[in-house]
Amino acid sequence: MSLASAAPSTGLPEFVTRRPGGFYRSTNPSTKLAIAALEVVAAFAVPGWFGPLLVLGAVLATAAAARRLRGLAVIALAASPIVGSILLINIFLLPGASDPIARLGPLAPTWSGLWFGLQTVLRLFAFSTAIALVYLTTAIDDLLADLARRGLGRRAVFVVGAAVQMVPRTIERAAEIVDAQRARGMDTEGRFWRRARGVVPLAAPVVFGALTEVEERTMALEARAFSAPGRQTLLRTPEDGALDRILRWAAVAALAAVVGLRIAGRLG
Amino acid sequence: MSLRDSEFTASAPAASAGAPADSGPSGSGDVGDESTRSGSAAAVPFASRSSLPSAVPSIEFEGVSFTYPDGTRALENVELRIEPGELVAVVGQNGSGKSTLARHLNGLLRPTTGRMLMDGLDIRRIHVATLAERVGLAFQNPDRQLFAGHVSAEVAFGPRNLGLRGTALDERVAAALEAVGLGAEADSNPYDLGYSRRKLLALASVLAMRTPILALDEPTTGQDARGAARVRAVVAAAGEEGRTVIAVSHDMRFVAECFRRVVVMRAGRVILDGTPEAAFGEASWGELRAAYLEPPFAAVAGAQLGLGATPTAASFVAALGAEQRARR
Repeated sequence: MSLASAAPSTGLPEFVTRRPGGFYRSTNPSTKLAIAALEVVAAFAVPGWFGPLLVLGAVLATAAAARRLRGLAVIALAASPIVGSILLINIFLLPGASDPIARLGPLAPTWSGLWFGLQTVLRLFAFSTAIALVYLTTAIDDLLADLARRGLGRRAVFVVGAAVQMVPRTIERAAEIVDAQRARGMDTEGRFWRRARGVVPLAAPVVFGALTEVEERTMALEARAFSAPGRQTLLRTPEDGALDRILRWAAVAALAAVVGLRIAGRLG
Repeated sequence: MSLRDSEFTASAPAASAGAPADSGPSGSGDVGDESTRSGSAAAVPFASRSSLPSAVPSIEFEGVSFTYPDGTRALENVELRIEPGELVAVVGQNGSGKSTLARHLNGLLRPTTGRMLMDGLDIRRIHVATLAERVGLAFQNPDRQLFAGHVSAEVAFGPRNLGLRGTALDERVAAALEAVGLGAEADSNPYDLGYSRRKLLALASVLAMRTPILALDEPTTGQDARGAARVRAVVAAAGEEGRTVIAVSHDMRFVAECFRRVVVMRAGRVILDGTPEAAFGEASWGELRAAYLEPPFAAVAGAQLGLGATPTAASFVAALGAEQRARR
């Protein structure tokens, strides 16, 4: 049923009747969390190239089908400085490596450093994209509602929600603060040192703003009986069909199997 | 004509623009006092630039449309010309494009299509930091800009960025704080002030830049009567000095009392543009209603009593008095 027809027939506002649509986006949030947990563990527990490559392939295929490849690329790009530095450190400084690719004065990049670095980078990409895919395909409200429905305490739900929403809110706030300082002549388009100097007028409003917001949100929640005893009713519950349940339990079983095999030393 | 930032900031013979190098709007010495600057080419005051003929520039939105990255179309083919020294209020429902329009004034946002002109010059390639010498924009939320440990340091941030130092800077800071009634709070921490005073502080920090154009985003929101009176006084003083003031507001009484021109926006378009008498007159109520706006109480009362267009309390009282005298 489309949203347009759902809202008038139920008489409920859109944010209550809204249902996510599209491949993987409509999958139950807890199922996506279970799949992501499996992918994260597999990326690190399965040795060699197979584990991280398999996970990365699965994540990329899912993201492409869910039309979230672009978002994933942005997140991967944001991680590239860390990834690059990890690669460089391993290439040049891997302890015990003695198979140099070339001699560059006092530095000697090694083949084993390069392979180990690439493998580490691949694992990090697999880990970060698996988590990012959940974030890119799930409305935070849906995730929190689903966690609450499964019995997670309201305080825990609040902490999870605040943590997940912190990054986009901080980015949004920082962008507005930068605009306000630029409007007062702060040069963010000039030389590097000028840009660096602009961090000071940015940091204080971001930090103070975040603290104030947390305080205000806490008071607003308390004013709406957040700590009242008894179980809360939920405005909406994300769908959880048979396929969702099968996928979720399969992911949990696979996760247990990977961990068990790793502990037993059967994964090589 | 399009102008690059490098051309915009290039050195020019002082006073070649027909305005004295040290004269600000209305010759008050406000805009770019060259002797107090640090002396780079980029620090040449706007008023002395030969390519810019007047101290207070005209502004023109030429078929400006703007779409945010998420696809939201905020401005739709806006055609608007604001002459030097005009006092213009931009009103409209939430999401009508008012703040987006204001952020085009100093280049924080650039038109997706169309052009923004200042004295006929396309400003698309001019840095925001450069445009900040001409357009001071006070944001709606003061907490998104205050960062300094002292009120005076906060106010000094803008003029310091424009190159002001020493006594000239101190005088600017003191004058701006006095203008908003925070003269006694110079050494206070901004975060120790209440919201309305923080908002006045944010206004002071823009006033201290003494830009020929002042853009205010919801300046009276969250202000008590005294704070609102301060804001009205600031707008009136800027008008008397010949500066252009453009305010985005939902406060119709403030708009009617302080501005000589009202621009009504709806869904990114300008649907009404005229004097307060015209914009709040009975003939325009249909457009106002379409933009989810209420005319000021004085305008409604005046229309219902058959007194004509009375957008302000003063004009209402005057019209009522005239009516009574005519009856006698």
